[in-house]
Amino acid sequence: MNAHHHVVGFITWFVLCYFVLLNGGYLVLNMLSLRTLHRKGQEAMLDDLPRVYSGLEPPVSILVPAYNEEATIAASVRSMLQLTYSEYEVLVVNDGSKDGTLDVLKREFGLLPFPEAYRRQIKTKDIRQLYRSTRFPNLRVIDKENGGKADSLNAGINASRYPLVCGVDADSILQRDSLEKVTEPFLRDPTVVATGGTIRVANGCEVTGGFLTKVGLPRNIWALFQVVEYLRAFLFGRLGWSSVNGMLIVSGAFGVFRKDTVIQTGGYRPDTIGEDMELIVRMHRLLRAKRQPYKVEFVPDPVCWTEAPEDYKTLKNQRIRWQRGLAESLSANWGLMFSRNGGVPGWLAFPFMLLFEWLGPVVELGGYVFMVWASLAGEISWQAFSTFMFVAIGLGILLSASGLLLEEMSFHIYPRGKQLLALGAVVLLENVGYRQLNTVWRLIGLWRWATRKESTWGTMKRKGDWQAGSPGDS
Amino acid sequence: MALPTGALPAHALAAAFRAPDDPILAAAYWTGIGALLLTLLLAAQIIRLRMALRRHERREARALARWRPVLNAAIVGETPDFLPRLPKSERLHFIKLWVHLQASLRGEAGLALNAVARRLGVDHDARAMLARGARTERLLATLLLGHLGDRASWDTLRTLAGSPDVTLSLSALWALVRIDPHAAAGYLTPLFVERDDWAMSHVAGILKEASAPVAGVLADLLPSLAPERLPRAMRIAEALRIDLPPALLEQALASADIGLVTGALRVVATPGLRDRVRGLLAHGDWQVRVLAAKALGRIGDASDVDRLAGLLGDREWWVRYRAAQALVDLPWLGRADLDALHASLSDRFAADILAQVIAETRSTEAP
Repeated sequence: MNAHHHVVGFITWFVLCYFVLLNGGYLVLNMLSLRTLHRKGQEAMLDDLPRVYSGLEPPVSILVPAYNEEATIAASVRSMLQLTYSEYEVLVVNDGSKDGTLDVLKREFGLLPFPEAYRRQIKTKDIRQLYRSTRFPNLRVIDKENGGKADSLNAGINASRYPLVCGVDADSILQRDSLEKVTEPFLRDPTVVATGGTIRVANGCEVTGGFLTKVGLPRNIWALFQVVEYLRAFLFGRLGWSSVNGMLIVSGAFGVFRKDTVIQTGGYRPDTIGEDMELIVRMHRLLRAKRQPYKVEFVPDPVCWTEAPEDYKTLKNQRIRWQRGLAESLSANWGLMFSRNGGVPGWLAFPFMLLFEWLGPVVELGGYVFMVWASLAGEISWQAFSTFMFVAIGLGILLSASGLLLEEMSFHIYPRGKQLLALGAVVLLENVGYRQLNTVWRLIGLWRWATRKESTWGTMKRKGDWQAGSPGDS
Repeated sequence: MALPTGALPAHALAAAFRAPDDPILAAAYWTGIGALLLTLLLAAQIIRLRMALRRHERREARALARWRPVLNAAIVGETPDFLPRLPKSERLHFIKLWVHLQASLRGEAGLALNAVARRLGVDHDARAMLARGARTERLLATLLLGHLGDRASWDTLRTLAGSPDVTLSLSALWALVRIDPHAAAGYLTPLFVERDDWAMSHVAGILKEASAPVAGVLADLLPSLAPERLPRAMRIAEALRIDLPPALLEQALASADIGLVTGALRVVATPGLRDRVRGLLAHGDWQVRVLAAKALGRIGDASDVDRLAGLLGDREWWVRYRAAQALVDLPWLGRADLDALHASLSDRFAADILAQVIAETRSTEAP
């Protein structure tokens, strides 16, 4: 009986300590982000000034993998063609879409087949045809056999002309100055190999002619939860790690890479869902092993807007895929953890990800289940149970609130008082139910990874109604 | 370590609000209380920030409403005789607006804005900000004093130019170039060659306004530069389209240092160096071959067609591509010549790349 009590006691303390450590870790990242954002804020007024190009900015190839994106592809490509940057090209990769994606592209941009000497630096599925726009000299389209997002990105890399490649999701809207901002670290520091930009939720915003014209909050509660989630994930999750060069994720929705490093690393892995994270972790592992100085940086300015899922099923599937991607990325790169030259990525970021992001759902959900069981069975007091819930939810709310504070300190994208109030309410609400639901989805993701179910693009149900103002839709 | 058990749900609420006796449970309880208090503090801070932002926006709107018409009038040559007083609370907003307008203007309009700034004594304020202000104020002051061409701030700007803060140092350098391009070129050019932390695109952007004096300084500097600094100096010369002495380029092209050879190939423009460039078409490093093909496109003669055609079969895609571009750009090769050359190619890679470049060129030509 005594041993039984000890076991129950140990599990209780373990779960409590885990929650405190998890949230404490994020709070430390929060502090690191505060410092970076403060400095960034001091330079913000320089961003408002007219920009002079010297012509020596590194040219960029924007890669847009597209699979069944007929609803949004025209507006997205149009927004990319109007970016303010000295030299860039847009390469749309139609990954064997079953809808009218290619037809929309042909019609909107006047595509014609082009005799291109395609370079096969990374192995990909077969290319059917290469097209070039008759209206925009810097737009090309690759039509290929279906092979997944990673395969499409690799095909884009093969066909790209420029030393920097920028992967952008086909349903995303970029701000006009987004390329300038996200390539800035490459200008400052020749050792930078990858940068990632901030992604914001576009639901509730207005887009006209491929540009975001009015920022708003979504009315849909699922999308609203994700607004706060994105603030937290980007403003301190990534910025914090970036400030100590330990960032293990550059979002596939908007990231820039030095092409030679990507090719040297072997390109994106087509057999994984989380190809964006896997590539970054692999880059860390290889460059650390070679003792090559490098940096992976995060650019906190809001630069890319994307449509978040608005229904339960799509959101659930997305989160399951994300967790599978995370598990695949970490399990494929164990070699980085505690490696001799691992530095911050190997000794801090990887173990942190493993302990809190990968194993997190098991411990979190296990913790909740155990606590409910133990208190119902009389194994622990209601006081212990309520203390556990109090700490877990209280720290969660604190973290979400700190994300909101960082946003208010830096960009204050949502200018109206009502919007701030709504976000404040979401900060409280998302910790009671939504966060736990997310944990369940992540656990399913882990299960699917463990049982090795087949990985696919994962269809996203898109409304695209926030792009209603695009000329292409008329 | 054993936990108290068996409490009924009816008592749970009361128990939940009491600090537990168990030390570890108490620690967790106080952690939760701490989180709650911190959350309240954060909420208060968010509200305070939002209110401060609103105040700031109102002040800025007031300042813009007052000063935009004055500055717009000055831009069109109608500066009022009497200017309103510039309160301290509006100073930064005014400077920001002024700098923004200055950055978009050229010529007399800029001079009129300078006159307004001087009449309001903003130059004095900016000098004070430069010496003692916060980082944001210093950044703004460098821009304002640069546009004003303020010689009085030369020494302070020079000190700031040596700062390890890249943004601040580059702003100060830009101001120095604006104030006196000749004096700045003498001081800055060696610095630009030395400091790798200054991005080349920024360097080129700043030096564009002083390219003539920089060319002179660079020419004097090059012979004494250490070999490892030469490639960067050549990149500056390339960015500013400065012609470098052929003797120096010839020496660089003969070097074993790849960085030096590629640096020289980027800027070589004299037919006298043709033979040196031809010798590099078979270089082991593909980047040298790429740049040699490009250079031969600029300075080659009719005899180079075969050499460039030979490169169309290179194992590196970029070499093939640049060789094809060089061929297509040769003024003495017409459409028919190019088509004939294409038809004569037996190597599939060579034929594909030439077909691509021909198609690229024709797609940009007027129908």
